[in-house]
Amino acid sequence: MDVVLLLQRIFDALFNSAIYSSLALALVIIFRSTGLLNFAQGEMATFSAYIAFVLLAGAAPGVKGGGLASWIGAPLVTPVAIGLAVIIGIGAGAATERVLIRPLRNAPELALVNVTIGILLALNSLMGQWWGTGPRVFPPFFPSSPGDHIDIAGARIRYSTVGAWLVLLTLLLLLALLLRYTRAGLAFRAVSIDPVSAALNGIRVGPTLMYGWALAAGLGAIAANMSANSVLLEPTMMVRVLVYAFAAATLGGLDSPKGALVGGVVVGLSQTLIPAYVPFIGFELSVLPALVAMVVVLIVRPAGLFGTQRIERV
Amino acid sequence: MSDDDWPTPMPRPGDDDENQGADASVFAVFAPPHDPLPDDTPPDDTTAAESPDETAAVPSGDDDDGEPEPAGAALSVRSARQAVPAAGSPPPSRVGSPMRGLAVPGGTDRVVGPRRRIGPLSWIGAALLGVWLVAMPLTSTVTELRQNTQIIVMVLAVLGVNIATGYGGMISLGHGVFVAVGAFAAAYAVDDLALPWIVSLVAGAAFAGVIGALVGLPALRIKGIHLALVTLGLAIVFQPLAKRVPAFSGGVSGRAVGAEMVPPSWFGTSRWAEGFYRYLICLAIVGLAIWLTRNIISSRPGRAMRAVRDNDTAAAVYGVNLVASRVSTFAASASLAGLAGALSIVLVPFTSQESFPFQESLVLYATAVLGGLGSIWGSVLGVAIREAFSRLGELVGEVGGLGPISEFLSLLDEEQFVFGVLLVALTFVFPRGLIGLFNRRRDTPVSSGAQNRTQP
Repeated sequence: MDVVLLLQRIFDALFNSAIYSSLALALVIIFRSTGLLNFAQGEMATFSAYIAFVLLAGAAPGVKGGGLASWIGAPLVTPVAIGLAVIIGIGAGAATERVLIRPLRNAPELALVNVTIGILLALNSLMGQWWGTGPRVFPPFFPSSPGDHIDIAGARIRYSTVGAWLVLLTLLLLLALLLRYTRAGLAFRAVSIDPVSAALNGIRVGPTLMYGWALAAGLGAIAANMSANSVLLEPTMMVRVLVYAFAAATLGGLDSPKGALVGGVVVGLSQTLIPAYVPFIGFELSVLPALVAMVVVLIVRPAGLFGTQRIERV
Repeated sequence: MSDDDWPTPMPRPGDDDENQGADASVFAVFAPPHDPLPDDTPPDDTTAAESPDETAAVPSGDDDDGEPEPAGAALSVRSARQAVPAAGSPPPSRVGSPMRGLAVPGGTDRVVGPRRRIGPLSWIGAALLGVWLVAMPLTSTVTELRQNTQIIVMVLAVLGVNIATGYGGMISLGHGVFVAVGAFAAAYAVDDLALPWIVSLVAGAAFAGVIGALVGLPALRIKGIHLALVTLGLAIVFQPLAKRVPAFSGGVSGRAVGAEMVPPSWFGTSRWAEGFYRYLICLAIVGLAIWLTRNIISSRPGRAMRAVRDNDTAAAVYGVNLVASRVSTFAASASLAGLAGALSIVLVPFTSQESFPFQESLVLYATAVLGGLGSIWGSVLGVAIREAFSRLGELVGEVGGLGPISEFLSLLDEEQFVFGVLLVALTFVFPRGLIGLFNRRRDTPVSSGAQNRTQP
């Protein structure tokens, strides 16, 4: 086995790992606080990336919302456009919680599955209708010309990979600080553990959950904007990514942020390494091992690696 | 909307103690004291349903005989609401009762009830369906007839979703996969194995059933929202997987079906006669499948299915074999979908993985939910609604020159978009699906798969 090639593949995989970890973290934040898997997380993130695309593309013909960009005037630089798009994504996430999720707080699980699946379908179709189903070129988030890489032992690690990890780790640090040292973070932890007791202690459960959704939407939006350059922007861009992220979150434990990070790394590595050494899988089918892993984890150890074991009372 | 619209109070994560009331469903015996009754409940009805002995009799209830019990005054009114009959079908006395076996504390539904009386809306619906079934082939061109027959066939796929999700309590977001597998298997049987059509159709359904049983195996351990996740993953992984087995699926380009189903010579040889013959065959098979499904649902396996959905531990206590029940439910639901796929190649001699993106599976799911889960006629209604919206979309999608309004109207032509929005809207407005409109009271419990939220 070629060691340099293996190392190179691992380095390449690490970029995807960062993306999966971020999205898995978003899923974990929502699952932890509301016990709900947000199937629309990927589409919400893609939508934000499209907003950045519109802000950047200006008044290109056939691009819905081009007027918005020309109204702003001068074309925006990439970081500003992406920053705005992420902020819009965060707002949309909070609004979704307030308008569509909170009224269903006493509804059965099925109702919430329906709502998130409905959002997925509607957004997916809307993006196809507005911006076309074909892939769009998206500017890179990090410098990514051919020379932008660091050489380590003969293998190359690209700036975009380093950058994605820096962003992810920064976000994780901020999140940890937020949860540990702020009032809102304390409230969020309390609501995650026991919403009823939290409410009895005067914590406003609804708004706290809304912050959670906003955080998750922001994480997803950042992940989508970081990866839109390499996977090309299209309405179904995050669909496969969502399966990987779910696999990562399941593997790590659906209620464990640490698990999401570890799961993301493992899934990212396996997504690159398994197709490389198992010819039948190939690139397109690389989502199959992730799905199988998810099923196996759910059957054998539903709590995942770091999740809380559930005890059911009969 | 207010919380009161949800009849079954669902706990937030962590509400262990309140949980049990919501859980009780068929197993009223396990339930803590009942909630206060809705005001408009006739007293005699509630006393009957509230009695734990009666409600708990489900798993061994007296449904088997299939004979209608004498209609007892107040009770029959109560249970009249649930069925939309269709012309030519047996009176759907035990069909499509989403809430049978879901007697919730408060007693809105009797498990062992007298025959339902059928409401006026249901009669209108049945009459419309009957008229359409007769008039449609006579007034259609060859192409229209084929398209309309495809719609009829689609009922089976939606019914498949309904069996798994509505009756079995296993949310399935991947039933498009089984439709595709059924189509591929039938095409393989009729072309490569040169089997007669009728055998091929059965083979398609059976193969999809086997695949469904395999998928159902994880469902023994994976429940609720996690199962939804796994089936969604299945729907997403299907396309690349199908491309890998070209001998079976035709690979990237799909497979054309060589064999054609031709009517006997006395039937006529015109293209319309051919289409009409296929229409009759499909209608007969769909009718037969619905009838079989209805019978299964109202007999022992069906009651076991619903008992497992409502509370698997209690069902096991009553002697239901959980493994057999779950796997066979999933297999049955998959084979219905597979039969729909197999029939589709009778109508259009081509099938490809291209036609089954994951969105298709989700639209199937949405159709089942829209019509009403836990009701056979809900699935029929769902397909009718889907068709109505697609016609409407075609009509208004063409309207131009109205600026933003035209743009909005053109979105209505996007089936996916419409179904996404409807799925969200209906969750708020008609939690029980549109079939709930045919029901008299709106406070019946939601016949949902996963009754309890997953505890994080």
